[in-house]
Amino acid sequence: MVVLLISIILLAPLTAFAIHALLGLAKQGFPRQDILSTFAMLVAFICSILLFWQIAPDPKPHTIDWISLGSITFSMGFYLDSVTVIMLIVVTLVSSLVHIFSIGYMHGDPRYPRFFAFLSLFSFSMLFLVVSDNLLGIYIGWELVGLCSYLLIGFWFEKDSAADACKKAFLTTRVGDVGMFVGMMMLFTRFKTLSLYDGADAGIFTLVEGLSGTGDMIWLSIAGVLIFCGAVGKSAQVPLHTWLPDAMEGPTPVSALIHAATMVAAGVYLTARMFPILTTSSSLVIAYVGGITAIVAATIAIVRFDIKRVLAYSTVSQLGFMMLAIGVGSYVAGLFHLTTHAFFKALLFLGSGSVIHAFHAMHSHHDEEHSDDGEHDHGLIHEHGSEIPPDQDMRNMGGLRRKMPLTFITMLIATLSISGVPFIFSGFWSKDKILGGVLERAMEWNSIHHYILFVVALIAAGITAFYMFRLIFMTFFGVPQNQEMHEMAHESPWVMTVPLLVLAFLSIPVVNPLWFNKDYVKPPEQHHIHAPEHAQVLPDSKTRNSDFSFAFLGVSDAHAAEGEEDGHAADAHHAHSPAHSIAMILSIIVAGVGILLSWLFYHKRRFSAEAVSTAFRPVYNLFWNKYYFDEFYDGVLVALTVWKSRLFAQFDGSIVDGIVNGVGTVTRDVFAAFTGFFDNSVVDGLVNRIAEITWAAGGRIRRLQTGAIQTYLFVVVGGIVLIILIFRVL
Amino acid sequence: MTLQHYLVISAILFSLGIFAVLTRRNAISILMGIELILNSCNLNFVAFSRFVTPPENIDGQIIAIFGIVLAAAEAAVFLAIILAIYREFGSIRPDEVDTLKG
Repeated sequence: MVVLLISIILLAPLTAFAIHALLGLAKQGFPRQDILSTFAMLVAFICSILLFWQIAPDPKPHTIDWISLGSITFSMGFYLDSVTVIMLIVVTLVSSLVHIFSIGYMHGDPRYPRFFAFLSLFSFSMLFLVVSDNLLGIYIGWELVGLCSYLLIGFWFEKDSAADACKKAFLTTRVGDVGMFVGMMMLFTRFKTLSLYDGADAGIFTLVEGLSGTGDMIWLSIAGVLIFCGAVGKSAQVPLHTWLPDAMEGPTPVSALIHAATMVAAGVYLTARMFPILTTSSSLVIAYVGGITAIVAATIAIVRFDIKRVLAYSTVSQLGFMMLAIGVGSYVAGLFHLTTHAFFKALLFLGSGSVIHAFHAMHSHHDEEHSDDGEHDHGLIHEHGSEIPPDQDMRNMGGLRRKMPLTFITMLIATLSISGVPFIFSGFWSKDKILGGVLERAMEWNSIHHYILFVVALIAAGITAFYMFRLIFMTFFGVPQNQEMHEMAHESPWVMTVPLLVLAFLSIPVVNPLWFNKDYVKPPEQHHIHAPEHAQVLPDSKTRNSDFSFAFLGVSDAHAAEGEEDGHAADAHHAHSPAHSIAMILSIIVAGVGILLSWLFYHKRRFSAEAVSTAFRPVYNLFWNKYYFDEFYDGVLVALTVWKSRLFAQFDGSIVDGIVNGVGTVTRDVFAAFTGFFDNSVVDGLVNRIAEITWAAGGRIRRLQTGAIQTYLFVVVGGIVLIILIFRVL
Repeated sequence: MTLQHYLVISAILFSLGIFAVLTRRNAISILMGIELILNSCNLNFVAFSRFVTPPENIDGQIIAIFGIVLAAAEAAVFLAIILAIYREFGSIRPDEVDTLKG
């Protein structure tokens, strides 16, 4: 039953894609291909829901042998635990909603069927990645979603900026994938398998328990960090985050599905999947990368004016939070945030798509002119700060809440959620759980690293509230900044608003299984995480915080109960840590401060954002220029690559070509001359001599052929007589 | 009359035939030489049949009769060819019929 359901889930979108592809090859579009893809996704979604009731508490992988090479066999299979099923539901649900939304959003696009074909292929790849029980399958799905991301970012490839952005996304994530592949190979050479779980043979997670000793730990840390590199690329963590904002060149539903809810979360999912192999040091690396990403992206988001890019940096920042959670061992918190973020960020993107759609009608002709200009001077890395499409520029918006009430309400819910407004919004609980997890580890381990990370994450959470409300105030409140465009704006059709409403409902935390049942997801054990010497852990307790009573603030509020499930071996987890209470109170304060500041700056106009930016010009410039990451890559890495390529080209041109030409010359002038001479004189001479001899002999012998029968007869008779005489003599 | 007499006669006939075939320039004369050769053979067959094999075995005579019949058929075909050659070339001298000579 499980296998049947999982097969349907995987095959439905794949079949839809295959039908699209075949019809495309036959150039036989049928009018409503969008329905086909959407239907396939809904089928997958329903099967995911059914699967939700089916999974075993103690899952085993369902595998088949895929490739046998000598003594090594690569298996392929599914592993279904609670996390997989949650991911399946999130992916299929968001994908279904995005499909429905796209019916409205992409209406009238010349490549409308192709868009749905790509969406189907993407959904299949993502689901395949999620259910794979081995690193090879994950890697295959991983690269397939990368490919789909490339195809969909560059969907409007007539625009130079989109073509550049898709190349950038593909190449940047590839950098991380190389690291991931090396990490996989490290594990493979050691364990001779890529299966993660125990099937016919022991999987990596079992084998890894056997490691001990410093050398092994260093080796395992390096392998873990290398695999995490793949997640850094895919989940757009610093320093490989630069592709995600540029990826906003793709259609907005794509941004919602791929670059907010699912594909970028695949990195977090991978890191969570690899949880058992993380060591103390690789966890710390992950936590730091996540924390730095969270704050860097949040600060960049403050100063963006392009509505989609604000959301893109926000996504990067939230992914940083998830990585941070995994890095501090808050497995459940990270995945919880992944699911809540998938819903509210998809909602934000679809809402922004709705706004853009409202503005787009009158500006489509602008775009066409724009693309006809043919700006050919773009480098690989495109500088977007200066040229925001007018329909995405928040400075053109304002006062939209009366024009687009549904979009406004739903986006407001998502914004409240991501900002961490307490109690009724899902983002509050998940983000809070992450902050609590960080602080808890900091207090247990008495670790300065984790205290720093907690402060960083807290500030990032405050900034998140600030920039998200900035977006809301600039877009929906105040007076219309561009009267002409404001006149044109209209509420979107129902195919676009219904997904918004569904997602808004999901942003209120009544639907999340992680929320309902705190035992639903059990974090796997980490055998190689060790508290440092000075940690305040009871020596006899295997895991941390068994009897931890700092009791700052009391631990008896409703939230602390939630703190239990935060990601470490739950067995010894009896006492409540005060960390979550502290974290919750602090996070409510920073969210409140963020929202208040945003309100003062962008709604009441009590302070002028321009004045502040002028006062802190260097800081503002740093944020505006995105910490110069693009400039660094363009100026250093790209330039270095180009320089290196030139060097190699010169090397090729002079030395390699020189050698080849030299060999050619020697061959032609020496060997060829010699063999030519030999051929001409000896071989040809021999042949010619033979021919001449034959010719001359023929000239003489032909005279025998007189043509006179009697001569022949005479010779015959003479010959017979001669023979007779000879035999007589003998 | 012994076997030798017949064989000598036969050898003379054969030699005359060969001589005629080799020396005559006229195709008809050559045909005549060939007839002489054939007849010398027939004579040989009959002679050997008479003197060497038992009297009840008449294979030699029968072969001689066959030889005569073959000679008649051969003469007919030969003369037909001669006629055709004459029409084509206006001559029946073999050394002038040399179209196939390289």
